[in-house]
Amino acid sequence: MSDCERIRPLVPGYLDGELSEEQASPLRKHLLDCRACRTATQGEKALRGWFVAGEVIAPPAGFAAHVARRAFAGDRGERAPADPVGDPRSQGAVLNFVLAATAAAAVLVLLLAGGIGGVGLPTEGGLRADDVAPVTEAEVLRNLERLNRDAVGEADLVRPDPGSGRE
Amino acid sequence: MEPAANDDAHLVQETLAGSQVSFQLLVERYETRLFALARHYTRSQVEVEDIVQDSFLKAYRRLASFDHRSSFYTWLYRITVNTILDSLKRKGRSPVTSVEDPELLAQPAPVEGFAPSGNLEREEVAEVTRKVLEELPEIFRTVLILRELEGLAYQEIADTLGISIGTVESRLFRARGRFKEKLLALFPEFGEH
Ligand SMILES: [Zn+2]
Repeated sequence: MSDCERIRPLVPGYLDGELSEEQASPLRKHLLDCRACRTATQGEKALRGWFVAGEVIAPPAGFAAHVARRAFAGDRGERAPADPVGDPRSQGAVLNFVLAATAAAAVLVLLLAGGIGGVGLPTEGGLRADDVAPVTEAEVLRNLERLNRDAVGEADLVRPDPGSGRE
Repeated sequence: MEPAANDDAHLVQETLAGSQVSFQLLVERYETRLFALARHYTRSQVEVEDIVQDSFLKAYRRLASFDHRSSFYTWLYRITVNTILDSLKRKGRSPVTSVEDPELLAQPAPVEGFAPSGNLEREEVAEVTRKVLEELPEIFRTVLILRELEGLAYQEIADTLGISIGTVESRLFRARGRFKEKLLALFPEFGEH
């Protein structure tokens, strides 16, 4: 096996900072002497320039307190998004989505809730699942939406527990 | 040895003993990182929040099974990655998108890379990255996200994914090769000069 054949497989680990000094030192020495391996290493390094993360999303204020409260209230957290057409809230189509799916129920509950001013749509996604009785139109919509989501995710309740237990 | 008052192990103990405040502190400590991790898979803020919230709730539920062999956050990452993959699966994206196991496919051509042009803004490169990653089989996308975007060490990736370091290395090698192939297929204009 030539030096080059021995060195090349070590290059990714070298660039990732995963080699011990005993491994890295002969590699560096070889790179000084070998143009082909140097070029390969530069190419490998250049490709990494393409890995750039997009803009971050910050957790909303009060997220941790909300999650801790839910955890201690026994919430099992099995409601990851399941809506195959994308998230309606982020597309400003909450009303359509909710009413289309549960029009009759919405009308009934809104009548019961009675005489409430303008429609306020829930925009604070992370803090939407309060466990209080609906008193405003926004909260009614919110709870209906939650029911929808639960209905969509029903199948998940019978599947084996996901999460870390995959060993 | 007694854990320090504020380290993860101590907060885990306190949480198990019934302290909601301690669990809240753990969530506060890692929420930003989990938001960033989930964000690599979806652009929807609502989905990101749902995924992270579900992950923390699952973590709480199985906290008693956390055995401290790995760090708390790789354990948490593991739960989050699985939550993400489950969520993608439900949305119709299969974790391995072909009939063949990508691990068994022929080795890709060696990575002779090329850097993004200096004319591209950071956000433009990020958009290219996202599009290319989205086209890769899930196991390749995830290992690249953990290494290249989250900066995890091989051991941390191994702990998170429950695989050996050797598998991390070979999977990363294949994943980078596939990334380059897909990049050139989607954006031939970025081809080598
Ligand atoms: Zn050489």
